[in-house]
Amino acid sequence: MIVFAASDKGGTGRSVTSANLAYRRALAGDDVCYLDFDFGSPTAAAVFDVPGAVRGVAEGGLHSHLQGRNTEPVRIDVWAETEHEVLRHRPAGAGSLVLLPGDRSGGEFTVGREALRRCVDLFLRLNGEFDVVVVDLSAGRSYAIDLALEATSRPEMRSVPARWLVYHRWTRQHVIAAAGLVFGGRGIVAGGVARGHDEERLRGAIRFVRAAVPDPESPLWSQVPPAQSAWMRKCDQDLEVLAADLDIGYTRLLGSVPLEPVLQWREQLITDEDVLASRIANQETLQALEELAERLTGDEPWGQP
Amino acid sequence: MTDAVFRETAAEHRTQSLPLSHLSLEVGHLYMEDFEAGPERLREHFTLVRPWVDAVRAAAPAGSGKRPRISTCFLVDDYFSRFSTPAELVPMLLAEAERCGLTIDYLARESACAVADGVQLAESVEHRLVESPPPGSDGSRPPVKEIGWLANGERTPGVERLEAMANDLPSWRPPTETAARRHSVFMDVELWDDREQRRTWSCPFLAAVWQLARLGLLRHNGEAVLVPRPAPEGSFPRDWDDLAPLTRLNPAAQPFAAYRTCSVLPSRFLPVEHAVRVILGQVEVDPRALHQVAERSGREGVPVPEAVADRVAHVFYAGG
Amino acid sequence: MRVPGDPAAAVLLCGEIRTCLLQTGRSLPASAARDLLRLRAGERVRVSERPNLHVVSPDLLTGVDCRLPTGTGARIRAVGTVTARAVLTEGRVLQATARFGCPGGGPDTRRPWGSYLVRPGVVEPLGRLPVRAVADGVLADVRRPGELDLGAVAERLLGEVQRHPLLDQRVPFKSRRTRLRWAALRAPDGEGPSLGRFTLAEDGLRTVELRLPEGTDPAACASLCEDLALHDWLLTTLVRLVERSRLGSADGHEAVMALRPAVDHLLHLWMPRARVDTTLAPLWEVLEREPGFTRQWGTLVQRIRDQLALQAIPLLREALTAR
Repeated sequence: MIVFAASDKGGTGRSVTSANLAYRRALAGDDVCYLDFDFGSPTAAAVFDVPGAVRGVAEGGLHSHLQGRNTEPVRIDVWAETEHEVLRHRPAGAGSLVLLPGDRSGGEFTVGREALRRCVDLFLRLNGEFDVVVVDLSAGRSYAIDLALEATSRPEMRSVPARWLVYHRWTRQHVIAAAGLVFGGRGIVAGGVARGHDEERLRGAIRFVRAAVPDPESPLWSQVPPAQSAWMRKCDQDLEVLAADLDIGYTRLLGSVPLEPVLQWREQLITDEDVLASRIANQETLQALEELAERLTGDEPWGQP
Repeated sequence: MTDAVFRETAAEHRTQSLPLSHLSLEVGHLYMEDFEAGPERLREHFTLVRPWVDAVRAAAPAGSGKRPRISTCFLVDDYFSRFSTPAELVPMLLAEAERCGLTIDYLARESACAVADGVQLAESVEHRLVESPPPGSDGSRPPVKEIGWLANGERTPGVERLEAMANDLPSWRPPTETAARRHSVFMDVELWDDREQRRTWSCPFLAAVWQLARLGLLRHNGEAVLVPRPAPEGSFPRDWDDLAPLTRLNPAAQPFAAYRTCSVLPSRFLPVEHAVRVILGQVEVDPRALHQVAERSGREGVPVPEAVADRVAHVFYAGG
Repeated sequence: MRVPGDPAAAVLLCGEIRTCLLQTGRSLPASAARDLLRLRAGERVRVSERPNLHVVSPDLLTGVDCRLPTGTGARIRAVGTVTARAVLTEGRVLQATARFGCPGGGPDTRRPWGSYLVRPGVVEPLGRLPVRAVADGVLADVRRPGELDLGAVAERLLGEVQRHPLLDQRVPFKSRRTRLRWAALRAPDGEGPSLGRFTLAEDGLRTVELRLPEGTDPAACASLCEDLALHDWLLTTLVRLVERSRLGSADGHEAVMALRPAVDHLLHLWMPRARVDTTLAPLWEVLEREPGFTRQWGTLVQRIRDQLALQAIPLLREALTAR
């Protein structure tokens, strides 16, 4: 299946969380591929700790592939090339984990017929090779989103399962922006329908991921004064009401990721090691990621029997 | 492989060979409005054509001192517009030609260059277009054939690859003819249009198919196409669709297809025939058909030029 | 049959083959395979049903005017056409081949395009051809921008076929495509064909260097390389399926389920030399001795069959006791 990761604004942890999901799926035995479609600023390689591709590769990345400048986009076998000491040891039973980086000097580009054809061919080809293909799209309305919508609207892509993850922070502004990105006048749904997508089917393939969510029940906040605690609960409830009003409430929620310094600051994969041995990451975060990764490929969270 | 015990015919190449004249001479290519203008117009046309036909016949090489085999042909446009019936027009055409001392051996309908006997000739030729690559073509760029145009060089660049924030925003560049002699004569030929879900082939494209048919280079699944049929017993049909795609009017005619072609046309056809040349220069014909023609012409001592477009000649007369 | 433009005079034949699983749930029967590979109106798709189903598309040409890849970095401009075709084996494994032949030299300037078109599959250098350098360039794993890109031609053809509406994109198992590049130089006078090198590089790239007697049909050379590429892909794919099934360590039943697609779709495809020209067949023998393609395949197949048999024993016992 192809998973498109979108967000309306930057700072939602889209790349780092998606990379963690890809990693979790690979640990679970899936063959996983991660595509850096963030044409404005390709940085996914940093999350996987792959040297030489940290701000995209010098040449041969996805941008130049889509523009027909290179036939073989660069592929990085994360297990083999990462400098992350834990990742370097591929656990038995883990699937492949491959990164297709962007070009360092990428930049957005218009979607021509040729770029579209190459994009469809690339998706079909990767779908034949990997169980999960994660496509990290640029923040906001972008050509990358147009390209993804256009490619998936093609008849030859019809039977390739596609799922959309929309990341947003758990704040009033972000909730409104995320709903706008999906349901707004120039949003993903409208853009998809204009390209021939079935509205119900496309809506059914979109789920939201709440990022950097402070959990009022977490032990982290157990020491705060009662007034502050009550206020936090109130804010959280208000946001739930707002989200439900904007149709991005529970039924469209894939999961939440707690506020986590390792995700925020280090912007890297969270390994079991980080939680169990060095204890720099929280158990809750790991659990949330594991759960998300499971729900990502499950059928039930996506309303499928 | 032919000496093998086991053979599968569906797994082999095969290409039917055709009888061939030395020269296919086209004595007219007329539109319905020419017929509409009445027998006088036809008479005027044949009078102007006659001396050129004689000249072409005199100049035709036969090899080994024999008389050249020449067949004449005439193309009627029933594709872009229709007028009257074959029953009325064909006898008039033949009478006027005869009055000027010309024999028309074969009569073809222009629509047969699009579809003949159920075979999509134009489409199969379109699938055989191999565009002349401008310098720098390394195989990574796909052919642009889906757009329905064919050029003799490189077009002004479009916006396909405009990249946001790229520093090298392209400025306008003129089109260029590939392998031009210093200055370009750029030509871009429309091959077809699609309107109301119907594809209409352009006049130059059908004319290119016509030339390939006359050169004996068209095949469908290896079989001959546009095979001439004898003229109907009695009168010609009352509907163009009932007329054979290619009719042999003269039972004693030499073969329709030939090593070379020559067309005698009014000069207003010049741009169309330039376009035909641009198309013929970029068609890859069946290599086995090509081989049959080259081999036999060589054996007769009249070898054909290597490039297909060079086997086609024109005489343009003033007026009309 | 010799046709004009037959690059028999070629001193170098080069090509690239991409091999992959056809992206569809069931293998295609002959009639559907014929429709799939009808890439050109009015031209026959060749279908052979013995000893296995083998369908070959018409040849498609791509015009090129660019530098040839060279091992030395020398800039050699060449003009001509690259021939590409798609081949489908048993309605299941798809290959796209792009190839060209090069004569030893050509005129110093580009000729009219029509002259190149009558020599399909020939790319003619402007000036003299440094044979060794170009062979090295073709086989190299990196390609400099602007140099002839056989891979792009093959890839585009593969994409065109894989996008076909006849295919449902529901593959029975995930697999990776492989690339095989070959360069065939002329064998010394009086010597037969020989296999110089067969290299398995990382990233699914294989390279083959051959020496062929003068006058060898380029299509026969392509068929040989397609056969090598097909069997190399089968072996690579089966090795990977067995590896992923964790045969020997995982629960036996699970491993068998993971190997099921191999049994359904791959095991019957092994048939080396099925369509290799008799004069070139000895080249296969070399690979059978070292590294022993068929030996490795046989061992893998035996492992799978043993596992299936082991799993069948409890079922058999159940069936017997249920009586």
